[in-house]
Amino acid sequence: MSNIESWDWESKEKMLADTAEWKDRFEDVWEPYISSDGEKIASIIKIGEGEFNICVNGNTWEEPFEKMWYSRFSPDGRLTALISKDAEWTMAVDGVALEETYEYIWDTKFSADGKTIVAIVKQDGVYGMLVNGKVWECPVKLESIASHAISPDGNTVAAIAQTVPLGQADLDGFLKGTWSVVVNGKPWNDNFVGIYGLAISNDGKKVAAEYRAAICEYGIVVNGNPWIEKFGCTWEPVFHPDKSDEIIVPVRQAGQWFLAKNGRIVWDKGFFSLLYQTYSPDGNNIAVAVAPQFGKWTVAVNGQPWSVTFGECVQKPCFSPDGRKVAVIAKDSGKWLLVVDGAVLGEGYDNIWQPVFSPDGDKVICKVEKNGKYAVAVNGEIRGKNYEALWNPVISPDGTRAMICGVESGRYYRKVVSLSNI
Amino acid sequence: MYEFVSGPLVWVAFIIFIGGSLYRIYNMLSKSKKENVVFPHMSLKHSLASLVHWVIPFNNQYMRKRPIFTIISFAFHICLIIAPIFLLAHVILWDESWNMSWWTIPEAVTDWMTIIVIIGCIFYLHRRLTDPVVKNVTDGSDYLLLAITALPFITGFIAYHQLFAYKTILIIHILAGEIMLIAIPFTRLSHMLFFVFTRAYFGSEQGHVKNSKDW
Amino acid sequence: MKPTIVKREPVVDEALDQCEARLTEEQIEKVVNEVIDKETGGRLWTYVNTCIHCGLCAEACHWFLSNDRDVSYAPVTKVKDTIWVLLEKKGKVDGAFIKRCSEIAHTECNLCRRCGMYCPFGIDIAYMLLVVRRICAKLGMVPLYLQDTVHSHAATMNQMWVKPDEWIDTLQWQEEEGQGFVPSARLPLEKEGADIMYSVIGPEPKFLAQLLGNITVIMKVAGLDWTMPATAGWDNSNMAMYSGDFEIMARVERLHHETAQRLKVKRIVMGECGHAFRGAEYDGPTWMGWMKPPIPIVHAISFYYDLIKSGKIKIAKKAKGPITVQDPCNVVRNGGLGDKLRYIMNAVCEDFVDVTPNNRYNYCCNAGGGVINVGPPWKKKRVQGNRIKAEQFKRTGAHTIVTPCHNCHSGIEDIVDFYKLGMHVKFFSDILIEAMEIPEHLKPKEE
Repeated sequence: MSNIESWDWESKEKMLADTAEWKDRFEDVWEPYISSDGEKIASIIKIGEGEFNICVNGNTWEEPFEKMWYSRFSPDGRLTALISKDAEWTMAVDGVALEETYEYIWDTKFSADGKTIVAIVKQDGVYGMLVNGKVWECPVKLESIASHAISPDGNTVAAIAQTVPLGQADLDGFLKGTWSVVVNGKPWNDNFVGIYGLAISNDGKKVAAEYRAAICEYGIVVNGNPWIEKFGCTWEPVFHPDKSDEIIVPVRQAGQWFLAKNGRIVWDKGFFSLLYQTYSPDGNNIAVAVAPQFGKWTVAVNGQPWSVTFGECVQKPCFSPDGRKVAVIAKDSGKWLLVVDGAVLGEGYDNIWQPVFSPDGDKVICKVEKNGKYAVAVNGEIRGKNYEALWNPVISPDGTRAMICGVESGRYYRKVVSLSNI
Repeated sequence: MYEFVSGPLVWVAFIIFIGGSLYRIYNMLSKSKKENVVFPHMSLKHSLASLVHWVIPFNNQYMRKRPIFTIISFAFHICLIIAPIFLLAHVILWDESWNMSWWTIPEAVTDWMTIIVIIGCIFYLHRRLTDPVVKNVTDGSDYLLLAITALPFITGFIAYHQLFAYKTILIIHILAGEIMLIAIPFTRLSHMLFFVFTRAYFGSEQGHVKNSKDW
Repeated sequence: MKPTIVKREPVVDEALDQCEARLTEEQIEKVVNEVIDKETGGRLWTYVNTCIHCGLCAEACHWFLSNDRDVSYAPVTKVKDTIWVLLEKKGKVDGAFIKRCSEIAHTECNLCRRCGMYCPFGIDIAYMLLVVRRICAKLGMVPLYLQDTVHSHAATMNQMWVKPDEWIDTLQWQEEEGQGFVPSARLPLEKEGADIMYSVIGPEPKFLAQLLGNITVIMKVAGLDWTMPATAGWDNSNMAMYSGDFEIMARVERLHHETAQRLKVKRIVMGECGHAFRGAEYDGPTWMGWMKPPIPIVHAISFYYDLIKSGKIKIAKKAKGPITVQDPCNVVRNGGLGDKLRYIMNAVCEDFVDVTPNNRYNYCCNAGGGVINVGPPWKKKRVQGNRIKAEQFKRTGAHTIVTPCHNCHSGIEDIVDFYKLGMHVKFFSDILIEAMEIPEHLKPKEE
């Protein structure tokens, strides 16, 4: 989150927009998005046949467009949208469309500081990455881009791309390898049968991905160099937060899933399923979602599963800032549950969003949904009002306050509350 | 000879039959447990529902479509199990050896039941020889199993009516029964043990997992 | 056991021929035993040891019935000619044998599970043939067009090599088409927290885009809060499940279900497809370790049933004339939706004529189970292998057949064509869109 210190942590409550009134002003109002600091709320609006605009805190951009979609705020508060004019597509940032236009543009992403904005573009049948308004130069004509990733500092942009054209029903050609990873416009030397699960280390120096070597043979490739070890299946690799030479990845061997670090299995215990490996902020602990048996899910921390299991699923675990506690959203008997260190907190909900810990780890805060209304829950219990729309609460850098942004009776409020009061 | 086949060999046959059956069922269950998904997919309700529809004649669509097969099959299997258990001569043997006895079926009835089993065997043999699908999947082992099944009943019938050398036939009859008991756990006659489980699983998968029915 | 006498017109499938030439017996033995030892267990063992070779399953199979009771098409024969031999010889077989295994398992069995329902012991024959497919897939013995489709799943996470931009572009185009019927209709992309994520199969954006326009209108009229993903994960279909490439199957299903979780929806509603329901509801989650999908998945039949029953969609004018229906195996026999299908058919048709046999006893369309995806070389055998389907439809005297499944739709179009039935083949939503009432306030304004 960029510049979180400079956000307004003082104003207790600000009513920033009356979104109900937008519905009278415009033909159609789409779902709203807010800036990370909560100061702006924006919706794409339809003003007429083939005429769209965007409404930010009640004001529209100067110029309407033929089509608009995918409005997203960058972490530094700029509002982007993908727009079309004269039947060509491009990106508009804070109301200004880029000069260059494309056949198509999609999948906008931002660096953590918001300084770098990227999206995938297609022009004349060639795919490329648009990085801060410029399409990267790539020596190879890219046939497709499946997905992309950006380093926290924005200096490394990597994409899973089809680097070799493939004829219809060309099985041999496919198995020779048509996919690779392109980093800042430079493709890796080798092509692979398939590439999945792209990851970039926090320092931006290393790019890792799963690769498929043959029909049932998978491995991990880092900066173009494949691990020697191959597995029956893998899932996406994850870098250590500080050490870019340490990668953990779920691997499948003899019908069981294990966690492997740099190619070696770390825990001797295998699971029916293993997903979402997560490092603690200091990188000393690892939590993963596991199914010790079919249909029974839990979290294993450093290889040790919790004793409680859940019948439907668990999602990605998350560590407290000090790395001592682990929270996860689990589903059992049709209800979503917040679970911390193996204990269910509060009741079940219709939906729970990814939780955040207070700095001391005592409180877990999250957005929950119940009977079509949204609320903030602290340690699993709903505190305060219901909202028609709500965003994930954000905790202040000093750990004393939380920002809660939500819509009540059509009005958008940004509130700052003391953590000790909620 | 008679003493041997009707004494120690009976012991051996029953021990192998019971022990073997338990072993095979244990083996099946542990292999199924290893398969992870089998038991979580099972449900008692749907297992029973499936069994009810398949152990009662004409209680599913397919049996209604093939009435002759259904009648013969049910008659064959019922007689095959009931006749030996409730035959007066068998119960007397149990009574003599173990002082255990139970209700018996009149001999004229068990005689007819034996005939039904033999007719069933002839029917199955006829299918194996003439139905192209069955013929194509039949080999020596299928005929052997049919013979193992038929022999105790044929010899029993002959013995009861004392048609030939009674003593010799009786010894062959006892031996045949013992062979059949031993064969049950270790041949495809084990469908006697397993069909409950295969039905229960398919019934559960269709009913519990797929919200449908298997009859 | 004597070998089965097999008479077939020769079919050339490059992929099978090349694979046969390439495979060594060591490779085959290794893979066969690997699959049997590590990936199967109690079920296969019990099924093989319980089967009494009675042949009662034959009567269930449309291949057998349509080919004048040719023994080589009977379910038990398909097992005899594949897995029995693999088990007996402990994998010591040659490439030609594995090729025949693929022909049987991939092109002559739809995994429709009708034979399982006709086995007195409930032996799941289709499961055993799926094990055979698994062995074939690991050896690379998969018919050309099916393998190509699986490669598409692997590369693009959809069935039809649809590129990411083509997907979104098609949705935006079909949103406009839908607005032709209902100007305020919208096809919301990436709307987190919507009630429903709608997912479809690859051929919809590729060949049948109007179905996306249809759903845009239906959702608006029913007043539902829905969304579609603008990322991969939109395709709920899964031919990897049918080739036997379960790792790719799982990757596709995982992405589909995680996309629904990412969008925080309450349920996934899927278009009219049978195998996709099987993959998304059952095979995919099972491989992932989920007893059921983390976000419940609702098939189009159930969805339309709820909409019509609750009155969210009202029927203004029922479709005329005799109309019949195809019960897709994967949602009716193996999904229990037969009664709901009859409810919605009666709701939108003036004269709904049922088929015989019907509901869960219905014959497979012969396209499902990946069999249509083995492509043109095998087409003749496929349509000839379902003569009874043509006869069944002919008896109804209907002018239109409704197929709430894409495979059924394509397969039955081929059958209608080959047997000159002169019938139309439609999706349920095609009928619904004509029959439903569009409230006044949603209709386009007369200029």
